[in-house]
Amino acid sequence: MARAIAQRTGCELLTRRVLEDMVAADFGNREIPGRAWLPLLRSAIARLAVDRHVVFCLEGGEHLFHGFPGVLCVLVIAPPSRRIGAIMVERQLDREAAKRFLRERELEVLDERKRRFGRSHSRLHEFDLILNEQQQPPEMLAGVVEAAIRSHGLLDQGMLSAAAEAQVQFQARLQLAKYGLTPPDRAPTERNGFSHPSEEIFARLLDFYRIEWQYEPRSFPLQWDKDGHVMEAFTPDFFLPVFDLYVELTTMKQALVTKKNRKIRLLRTIYPHVNIQVFYQKDIQDLIVKYELAERASAH
Amino acid sequence: MNLPNALPPIERVLFTAEQIEERIREVGARISADYAGRELKLVAVLKGSVFFLTALARHITVPLRLDFLAISHFTNQPGAPGLVRLAKDLDDGIEGEHVLLVEDIVDTGFTTRYLLQNLAGRGPASLGICTLLDRTSRRLARTPINYSCFEIPERFVVGFGLDHKQLYRNLDCIAVIKPE
Repeated sequence: MARAIAQRTGCELLTRRVLEDMVAADFGNREIPGRAWLPLLRSAIARLAVDRHVVFCLEGGEHLFHGFPGVLCVLVIAPPSRRIGAIMVERQLDREAAKRFLRERELEVLDERKRRFGRSHSRLHEFDLILNEQQQPPEMLAGVVEAAIRSHGLLDQGMLSAAAEAQVQFQARLQLAKYGLTPPDRAPTERNGFSHPSEEIFARLLDFYRIEWQYEPRSFPLQWDKDGHVMEAFTPDFFLPVFDLYVELTTMKQALVTKKNRKIRLLRTIYPHVNIQVFYQKDIQDLIVKYELAERASAH
Repeated sequence: MNLPNALPPIERVLFTAEQIEERIREVGARISADYAGRELKLVAVLKGSVFFLTALARHITVPLRLDFLAISHFTNQPGAPGLVRLAKDLDDGIEGEHVLLVEDIVDTGFTTRYLLQNLAGRGPASLGICTLLDRTSRRLARTPINYSCFEIPERFVVGFGLDHKQLYRNLDCIAVIKPE
């Protein structure tokens, strides 16, 4: 649903994984104390919010910007049957195993919320909007959130001002100092820029099916010189976390994909635990035929 | 081979009507054995699965009920639905029932995954998948297929319910169409 809201409003989506990756990029494998997460996440989101509108989605997110102007805080609940069903399919578990998994996962989340934000449960009065997925499909609920965003004029208010961001960062630095952590000064400015229209179509297809994706999140070194410097690397186009799967799209003619195939074979040899699926030109062409995208694709 | 008046741009026939009939008979027998002593509900996804559903149902010997679903389609056009959703829901609940989702083709697995998630949340006693065609080479979403009639290559196929721009569903064979 967060993805649908971001899509409808033109906001950038920050999932829990994206936010945790940002923290990991800043601090590497260093262990982050529980109570440092709140200022770290607040700092990371504020850095981005100065030049873009964002939708962020994570358990306990209501603690981050409670009372801030220009923020709409939404709680979405779903009946256990729906959540259990999703787990049965995602994890390929039977109903009883899925129920156990859900119980264990809920306990983990409560524990994590307690460690990071000091409270294990939400306070309902801290939300501007509470939605129930029991009867309404996510598409419709995303429409409700979009209407709330527009009626509050959030998209017209401009981004987070430099002064407000500086204030957030100042507070974050004060809070993080006792943990010996210093957040970076500047926001990462690059955004997903697809190098080919077929990648954009593929991303939209994933969005349509509510499948989380990351664009070129990781490069895999394939060859090194004698000093250990990377001589050759391969960066798959997409990573689909829910399937733990990398996807490479290639729009070159079949005869020209030999070099890329060699890299993929090498990747599979060096990183046998990495799952990668290659979509060749004819696969992409089939998608274009199947979804009647020809006019759209050729318009790019 | 049953061809419409306007000849479709067929490159080659992949499976003849006779081969399809024979294979569906085998799969129907397996399903009948696996669900012996139980009632079964076949849930078909409109529109492509209808031809397969009717052929399959005739070869299943356990008591069965039918129901239908339809989902919105990805178009990539401005203003089109941004998320997959049910365009037509089941007529009846499936709680406590043995449900077999009947698909014409499982390709990337995205649609099947969505449908399984949706159906699993309604508390069926069991939930399986039966597909006429299975293209595992292009699978991205892991989907446990219980019954598959044919594995197919990476080519665009039509017939026996599968279409190209809504045409050729009524072919009694499954054929590869010529690239445009």
